[in-house]
Amino acid sequence: MTAYLLGTRRRAMLWWTVAIAAVAAMYTAFYPVIGGMQIEGMLESFPDAVLVALGWDAFTSGAGYVNATVFSLVGAVLTLTCGIGAGARLIAGEEERGLLELELAAPVSRGAVYWHRIATLWVFLLGPAGGVLLVVGVLDPVLSLEIPVGHLVAATVALWLFAGAIGTVTYAIGAITGRRAHALAAGSGLAVASYLLAYLGPLAELDWMTNLSPYWWYVGDRPLLNGADWVGMAALVVLGALAATAGIAGFVRRDTNV
Amino acid sequence: MLAIATRGLVKHYGSVEALRGLDLEVESGSVTGFLGPNGAGKTTTIRLVLDLIRPTSGVVEVFGRSPRGAADLRRRIGYLPGEPALPDVTAGEYLGYLGRLRGRVDPGPLAARFGLDLSRSMATLSRGNKQKVALVQAFMHEPELYVLDEPTSGLDPLLQQEFRALVRERVADGATVFLSSHVLAEVETLTTRVAIVRAGVVVDVDDVDTLRRRAGQEVEITFAAPVPADVLAVPGVTDVEVTGTTARLLLHGEADPLLRAVTPWHVVHLRAQDRELEDLFMEFYR
Ligand SMILES: Nc1ncnc2c1ncn2[C@@H]1O[C@H](COP(=O)(O)OP(=O)(O)O)[C@@H](O)[C@H]1O
Ligand SMILES: [Mg+2]
Repeated sequence: MTAYLLGTRRRAMLWWTVAIAAVAAMYTAFYPVIGGMQIEGMLESFPDAVLVALGWDAFTSGAGYVNATVFSLVGAVLTLTCGIGAGARLIAGEEERGLLELELAAPVSRGAVYWHRIATLWVFLLGPAGGVLLVVGVLDPVLSLEIPVGHLVAATVALWLFAGAIGTVTYAIGAITGRRAHALAAGSGLAVASYLLAYLGPLAELDWMTNLSPYWWYVGDRPLLNGADWVGMAALVVLGALAATAGIAGFVRRDTNV
Repeated sequence: MLAIATRGLVKHYGSVEALRGLDLEVESGSVTGFLGPNGAGKTTTIRLVLDLIRPTSGVVEVFGRSPRGAADLRRRIGYLPGEPALPDVTAGEYLGYLGRLRGRVDPGPLAARFGLDLSRSMATLSRGNKQKVALVQAFMHEPELYVLDEPTSGLDPLLQQEFRALVRERVADGATVFLSSHVLAEVETLTTRVAIVRAGVVVDVDDVDTLRRRAGQEVEITFAAPVPADVLAVPGVTDVEVTGTTARLLLHGEADPLLRAVTPWHVVHLRAQDRELEDLFMEFYR
């Protein structure tokens, strides 16, 4: 089932992977120009707290630069968009177009329909996350970024978990409501809220805000500089698991295609 | 053995009462028509049978079991949706996938029979070809029970013929067929029994012959000269219309009383035909 679901999405997966890899490559390749010493003068005009929140205070190292641009910003936004889009389409979107009907009428349980789609979502996200890993890994020696391989892998896994967790929340809301719009609203709402909490928390010096932010769980500890943030990753896994559990509970109970 | 049974089946969509206590029995091995106007609750009933939706109250059983969460029960069912939606992959990919969900079912032979090109993307298929995909997926695993929601609506005549032939073959092999329609003529040729549904309840169940007999005959008698109106006032005769020397009437039951009544008169021409079931069908809606 997962094989078929992925098979029909292979083109979309390839596209996302290529697009995200290209953007990641573009940003990373600018390190010699923007990164390093040149930017320090410009950064001095920002308050420290803002710099910390944006992750720009560590712009001067290769790891700091890639963390701030690719992992905190464009890579995160694109991978997340991919996760939210796929999450909303996988049950709710298909259902709204009537495409789930013949599958649900086949001798498979709702649970199978549901879990195979979650698996599809997570495998799908391996594409974009893998694209980032590959691009940064290849450019590291070329541009002397000096990012430890272990840190790069940890940051990529965290990116995958982040997009996966929020994609799963999106998917679960879609499975519970059957409405793609509801799913999209929930997923993007959570993404924006995560970012705001992580951005405002340090500014307001309110720890509970940062602690509640999935974005902070993902990148707050800067895994590219500091290595794996096990607690953050675990929190993302728990978020995904809770959402998935709520989603299946709603999906097996409700009417489909109404 | 009952293939499908519902008792007091109620289904509400919010404030819409789609089914209000539907009682239905579909005998194993029968070909049962499920007739009713648009909005009567046919699709709702069928979707309850497939566990796509859940009853508000009442009982629905398939082969004696509740369909709720019973995936294995659906192995024995072939389902043709009223408005099938198909994804943007090739017919072969999709039918292959649905076939694998049902075990190792090969859509090839049936696709060939219907002249369906499996390599084409379904996004580019004509309406007729999309209907073939839907038919193939419903029939390819040779299930015991066919649940067909308005199967012939919109099928071109050739495809309709092929569809009927296929249904007859499967029935001969012992399968049960439950098919809905809002046009009686469509199912008349296939079904032996008909359940008539209206506003969410079954208002009548009969075999097609009984229905036809109950519907009576339209009789037209032309006399050599006008006859007194009371000549035709005999048991079983209704709706008499006389224009000049010609009388038109409806005859229910035996023809004998009418024939005896007209014998003394000079009958030039006599025509009698079964009433269209459609007309009887309309009576239930009034
Ligand atoms: N998803 C739905 N939401 C609200 N009302 C519905 C829905 N589906 C069907 N209905 C209503 O339920 C009634 C029965 O519909 P349906 O079972 O589709 O009838 P039929 O198939 O006999 O035309 C109709 O009044 C229809 O408008
Ligand atoms: Mg219908």
